[in-house]
Amino acid sequence: MVAADVPSSVPVTVLTGYLGAGKTTLLNRILTHEHGKKVAVIINEFGEVGIDNQLVIDADEEIFEMNNGCICCTVRGDLIRIIGNLMKRRNKFDHLVIETTGLADPAPVIQTFFMDEDVRSQTSLDAVVTVVDAKHIHQHWDADEAIEQLAFADVILLNKTDLVTPTELEALEQRIRSMNAMAKIYRTQDAQVEMDRILGVGAFDLGRALEIDPNFLGEDAHEHDETVSSVAIAESGTLNFERLNAWIGELLRNQGPDIFRMKGILNIQGEDHRFVFQGVHMLFDGRADRPWKPNETRKNELVFIGRNLNEEQLRAGFRACLV
Amino acid sequence: MAKAIAQQDFSFKQTWRSELSDYITAIAWSSDGRFLVACSAAGEVSLFAIPGFQSISLQGETGQSVDCLAFAGDGQFLAIGGQNGQVKIWSLASDSPELMTTLENKSVWVDRLGWSPTSHALAFSLGKYVQVWDADRQEVVTTLNFEASTVLDLDWRKDGKYLAIAGYRGARVWNAEDWDAEEEALDIPSATVTIAWSPQNGLIAAGNMDNTLTVMEWENPIPWLMRGFPSKVRQLAWSEVPGSLDVPILASCSGAAIVVWERDRDERVGWGNRILGNHEGTVQAIAFQPGSLLLASAAEDGWVALWHQGTRLTQALTGAPNGFSCLSWHPQGNQLAAGGANGELLVWSQASRGRGFGKA
Repeated sequence: MVAADVPSSVPVTVLTGYLGAGKTTLLNRILTHEHGKKVAVIINEFGEVGIDNQLVIDADEEIFEMNNGCICCTVRGDLIRIIGNLMKRRNKFDHLVIETTGLADPAPVIQTFFMDEDVRSQTSLDAVVTVVDAKHIHQHWDADEAIEQLAFADVILLNKTDLVTPTELEALEQRIRSMNAMAKIYRTQDAQVEMDRILGVGAFDLGRALEIDPNFLGEDAHEHDETVSSVAIAESGTLNFERLNAWIGELLRNQGPDIFRMKGILNIQGEDHRFVFQGVHMLFDGRADRPWKPNETRKNELVFIGRNLNEEQLRAGFRACLV
Repeated sequence: MAKAIAQQDFSFKQTWRSELSDYITAIAWSSDGRFLVACSAAGEVSLFAIPGFQSISLQGETGQSVDCLAFAGDGQFLAIGGQNGQVKIWSLASDSPELMTTLENKSVWVDRLGWSPTSHALAFSLGKYVQVWDADRQEVVTTLNFEASTVLDLDWRKDGKYLAIAGYRGARVWNAEDWDAEEEALDIPSATVTIAWSPQNGLIAAGNMDNTLTVMEWENPIPWLMRGFPSKVRQLAWSEVPGSLDVPILASCSGAAIVVWERDRDERVGWGNRILGNHEGTVQAIAFQPGSLLLASAAEDGWVALWHQGTRLTQALTGAPNGFSCLSWHPQGNQLAAGGANGELLVWSQASRGRGFGKA
């Protein structure tokens, strides 16, 4: 999982959310904001009209599964083909936005940016932005896609906040936070959000610090009425690298399909550098990061987002790696 | 005799150069050698009349890429397709090309097309479909539904009797003499990105997205599966001249590697291979010289390499510092044309060529 480190690579924003949540409104805000830049938009959804841009490419979602049935080898054939064609232009574009349907599984979209060599070498996934209709999301809690679009998100816009009461909104945010402790959540009306909150996020950039919502960490007990949840671990101590490697390896082998995303910053025995990692299903990428600063408290922070996660087991597994 | 060959100069020298404004997406010589044509990601299509390379612009910059082009087998027609969904066909019956027709297709990207080697039937991709259009009757003959995905490649059998279409889950082969007959499915548990019939009709090779190569004998249900490629197998080329056991040699490229396959006497081996590993960037195109086993490869590292007998690097050609994108051999094999990522067009010519010594 070597995300394109090439500085010239084109950033990619993935917009997900149900039809009517406000994706197109947000997309038009992005296009207005990036006026003068070349933005290419790939859309999978008919019905949402009025996109104000020259290069809008309509494409049906095409899921390609590879022979071994491995979930992490499932990619989006339409994106590989279109991006391959687009990237030939010498004056390429400055930004690519992919608007998926409300029924799209976000994992193959994300995995395409790590699995396909051509896509990987020329673009870099900036962030998955999920727009939620605060009023109507309740109708979709039973749908796997709705849950997964929240679980895979880096940025979540709770949109149409004017249509719900503050209490309802608070409960909704809590519920989403218990699923995804990693995402930035913004409350919006008419998808109004500062553009620097959703563009240039670098969510898949290993060099960017992991941020866990401190409120999430502070809570003693999380409600686990959801099958999709986050488990965050923040502990001091030093980790044995071999044991850590074995633990993560086993975790991905046994629970890879259920682990949507994971991220972490770790303090490894005998290392002066922070060790950072991230994963999407079984795709895993980890490396030594910057050195720990002299005054910095060395600690370990990990977040897992997935289905049927066993928090106690994860904590025990982590602790067994401590020296 | 051997000495006489060694003294001859077989090397290629640059004899012509031009450029279009953007990435050369395709380049081709007509089979009668009258024209060279190239198209670009900016939408240009330029024809060059041989021998003087007088330029005839068929289409200027449009801002939308032209992705594929092909001359009819007898050189009478030229077809192009691209991002705007148009397929344009020119008649080359006289020396000045004449636009015959423009087939308009909405919201699809026509990025694969090919003429039947034996007739004036043109097959082109239309999303999940392939349409076959007959230039003599000037009408669509059939529309084939690939179904599983957008069509990723297509190739006519060299006798024109079958058309293979590739995409997700492998390839399907339609009978060109009876389009309504049920197609044969060549199931591959991946997505096939490139497909090529061997010149002697018997073999079909498929390069796949899961880093494998499948070779099938027509009407033999059990394929050979070649694994171990560094990435997807993006291009294939069969030699016109047979190698050992009277079977053509198959060249494949994947990432920066070229792997050359030759049928082995030992059935347990099936196909022996050798890796040509000198390129340092993704190999974008490979082709054997007509009438010999000299293999040419064009790569993003800015080199066109020539491999003697598909084995040993004999010459490296430059001229596109940001990388080569495509190449095409003159039907006589004495000239090689290549296109570059910045719009470069180059032709190299062989000083002298000992016909008949192509295969030792």
